[in-house]
Amino acid sequence: MKKELTRSEFLRQMALISGGVGLGIAGMPGQAYATLPAGLAASVPAGNVLVIIQLAGGNDGLNTVIPAEDDTYFAKRPDIAIKKVDALALKKGMYLHPSMTGIKSLYDQGNVAVVQNVGYANPNRSHFRATDIWNTGSDANVVWEEGWAARYLAEKYPSYPIALPSHPMAVQLGSVESLLFQSDIGRFGTVFEDPALFYQLVSGTLADDEIPPATLAGDELAFLKQVSSASVQYSTVIRDGALKGANTLTYPVTNLGKQLGIVAKLITGGLETPVYLCTIGGFDTHANQLTQHANLWRQISDAVAAFQKDLNAQNKGDNVTIMTFSEFGRRVNQNGTTGTDHGTAAPIFVIGNTVRGGLIGENPNLTNLDTNGDLKANFDYRQVYSTVLSDHLGLSLTSTAGIFKKSFDRLPIFLNSPLIAEAGVKVMLLDPAPNPASGQVRIQFAAFEGMRVELALFDMQGQKLGSIFTGEVLSGTYTYPVDLTHFLTGNYLISLATSTGARITKRLIIVN
Amino acid sequence: MPVWNATNVGHLLSRTLFGYSKNDLSVAQGYGTFSDLLDLAILKDNPAPIAPNVWINTLPAASQTTSGETGLWYREFNYWWFNLMYKEGLNMREKMVLFLHNHFSNERDKVVYPQNMYTQNVLFRKYAFGNFKQLVKEISIDPSMLIYLDGNNSRGASPNENYARELMELFTMGIGNYTETDIKQAAKVLSGWQVNGLTSTFVASRWYSEVSVTVFGKTAKFDVNSLIDHIFDQKATAEFICRKLYQEFVYYKPNEAFVLQMAAVLRSNNYEMKPLLKFLFTSDEFFTEAYVGSKIKNPTELMVGASKLLELSSPDYINMYELSKLLQMQLFQPPNVAGWPGQREWISSTTYSHRGGFTDSLITGKRYNGVAVTGKLVPVPFAQTFTNSEKAVEFVDDVCTLFLAFPLTAKKKAFLLDTLLAGTIVKNYSTYLTGVNVNLQQFFKAVMRLPEFQLC
Repeated sequence: MKKELTRSEFLRQMALISGGVGLGIAGMPGQAYATLPAGLAASVPAGNVLVIIQLAGGNDGLNTVIPAEDDTYFAKRPDIAIKKVDALALKKGMYLHPSMTGIKSLYDQGNVAVVQNVGYANPNRSHFRATDIWNTGSDANVVWEEGWAARYLAEKYPSYPIALPSHPMAVQLGSVESLLFQSDIGRFGTVFEDPALFYQLVSGTLADDEIPPATLAGDELAFLKQVSSASVQYSTVIRDGALKGANTLTYPVTNLGKQLGIVAKLITGGLETPVYLCTIGGFDTHANQLTQHANLWRQISDAVAAFQKDLNAQNKGDNVTIMTFSEFGRRVNQNGTTGTDHGTAAPIFVIGNTVRGGLIGENPNLTNLDTNGDLKANFDYRQVYSTVLSDHLGLSLTSTAGIFKKSFDRLPIFLNSPLIAEAGVKVMLLDPAPNPASGQVRIQFAAFEGMRVELALFDMQGQKLGSIFTGEVLSGTYTYPVDLTHFLTGNYLISLATSTGARITKRLIIVN
Repeated sequence: MPVWNATNVGHLLSRTLFGYSKNDLSVAQGYGTFSDLLDLAILKDNPAPIAPNVWINTLPAASQTTSGETGLWYREFNYWWFNLMYKEGLNMREKMVLFLHNHFSNERDKVVYPQNMYTQNVLFRKYAFGNFKQLVKEISIDPSMLIYLDGNNSRGASPNENYARELMELFTMGIGNYTETDIKQAAKVLSGWQVNGLTSTFVASRWYSEVSVTVFGKTAKFDVNSLIDHIFDQKATAEFICRKLYQEFVYYKPNEAFVLQMAAVLRSNNYEMKPLLKFLFTSDEFFTEAYVGSKIKNPTELMVGASKLLELSSPDYINMYELSKLLQMQLFQPPNVAGWPGQREWISSTTYSHRGGFTDSLITGKRYNGVAVTGKLVPVPFAQTFTNSEKAVEFVDDVCTLFLAFPLTAKKKAFLLDTLLAGTIVKNYSTYLTGVNVNLQQFFKAVMRLPEFQLC
């Protein structure tokens, strides 16, 4: 489900990339950036890197970040629930899977943010459609054909595809390019499994400067030539980066361990690539899931712990953030084959030195389920993406909203969110969810330090209708369910006032 | 009616076969009409092939995985299938078997035993040109499928939804044509089956106990067969399978109006595939000039087809097997239940480079990692099989016409001619020159390294 390089864009690219190079090896480096493009905010350190780990197949969130003090969890999963005594305690009654010791120790150091109950409205339970949604950043009811990371990269590298930047724009460890890096102006990802082998393979590639005819077959040829040109150009940069970079420790001998080891080498070797994608599959645990799920999380946890340690030893830890995602969580009820079927919301991990560690958002509610018996999402997945784009990769709020064609409230994932620091009030009030709401609404705010808050509901005339919460809070995320059944249909305001000077309002539409 | 000429015959062969040699093309041209070529060769029913080995009847046992036997058997199974493809002649059956393997995607990682996967492969071969509806009925209780999509041991009281979902989403109707409730209800109907070694059995006590269930608005005590009949009564089903055939054999972006025509043919023939294939491969739509050369070869087409073009007497199936993994098309190990998506998804910076490495290996006798490749091209005698072997310019033309579905520019032909001549001049060129085998090696490598070679 993706759009391809259009003809005119290809022509521009071919004319400029391989200009002057005849048959044989083509490819000339495009210009490196002298200044930041307009969309990028200057308050985030240049050279920040996002490493995305895709958990393919639909990770069982409830057995990853476990509500091990919730009786409903054990009632609904008699054969596959993980007991409190076996799991690794976080806080607020939540526990990590027992095999996640590496991530637990990072959590204890304050480097793991767990965003709970992430999903989107009208969730899709098809692996393929759901994966496309997460890769493109679309609503469930529309089909987009470009990856959200590709749209970010298009903003960061406005000269592509007229010129190829000197370093790869995105690197994917693997073989089949993800939709995440595909866009209608071309492919942003360079895909390989091993830098040295990649260099060797590309060495025989023929590229040329001929412009294919404007036919269906000509379009396919143009596509092939774009891939070959980028391969020729980047295979050298990547090999050199890997040679210059280093690993200060031995990574676990697993597929993901190998991938992250290479990413660490490339980062420390000076590659300017801002986005990496690693993938681990096997999460579609319909049957006998306990052993497999444990093995998968051990792999991830051990590899991520090694990666963090390696980067810190080489003073790169502050620039790199890991984010996980999976196409969906799994059903709350176990099925009849000691596994779980396709579900909806699940936690996302954001890991790094600059992350504000802890649990974000309320714990999964195992009784208030949708009609299918699945969890209701608390956060939209694009809130996480938007936060990472603006607070870690430095994209302006306007540009971030442009990528998703609407603005999403960011979450308190990072310690020094530059935009929050600018506001100076150390607090965020999130959009009411759902909005419009009927019956009940959730009001959430995040305090970045201890403060006194007054959270209240007003009508549009400024009349205070009721207090939601008043009092002192510690740093953290707070959620208040508000009963709306007694309010008439119409527009209202949620107001947050704090001792740090914040006066924030959000509009709430009640439909009763 | 499409015009009977070498371009159109070549187009038909390139889409219905795993490539073709110059001899295949000339034999095909001898049939004189598309109708005869299809009836007497491409869509002809051939006897089933001899099984790869006796392990196909060995009861699955865990000891076979720990001993490594299953791995060896899968290799044998792969080589056996490569050989059937390589020796397919002008018959489309193996192409259809691969189409069905991709459509009803099962992964060996989960199925584990090649015995079960082989049984499924036999089923595909049986129905390659046969009744699609009947195939869906049989695949629904096929041991490999039961294992792969968790129908095995699914009980009516708390059924596993995996197969019910993919049956509708990927095998018959397509996403958007059913509800989550339809899936839950169908999962009950599909419960009760168990895999016992090489076969599956129905255990009535494990089936759903409700008096009836409702699927797509119809309430009945469905069983597997009546459920699938009901699915095939839905309008979306014929269109879905025809769209998939169109995308595989014509062009990856479907012409929806033509898909509807195909669906009408399929329905009016009660889901028999052969009349549909004949309709498709004699249609003006199929032979539309714009579609010629617009398909990116899948790795199996590339590997088997390159070997056919070079007329290798015994291609190295081990090499093909190893490369199939790197090119992301390991047989019996598709990426997931949706199968291989095809076309541009085959191509990344890595796979594109490995494709060139594969075609090189047929000529150099060495894989990218230095491992020897057997049965490599002997270039001089092969070049001499071309009528124009001693006329360099014409020889380059002939090779390009045969090897490439995409017309080359004069500039690229000049580059290829320079590669062939390697310093000598046209007048002095001959396949009897000392050292000409190196020129020919370089030349064939260059032809197959062209991005145009990836198209068919």
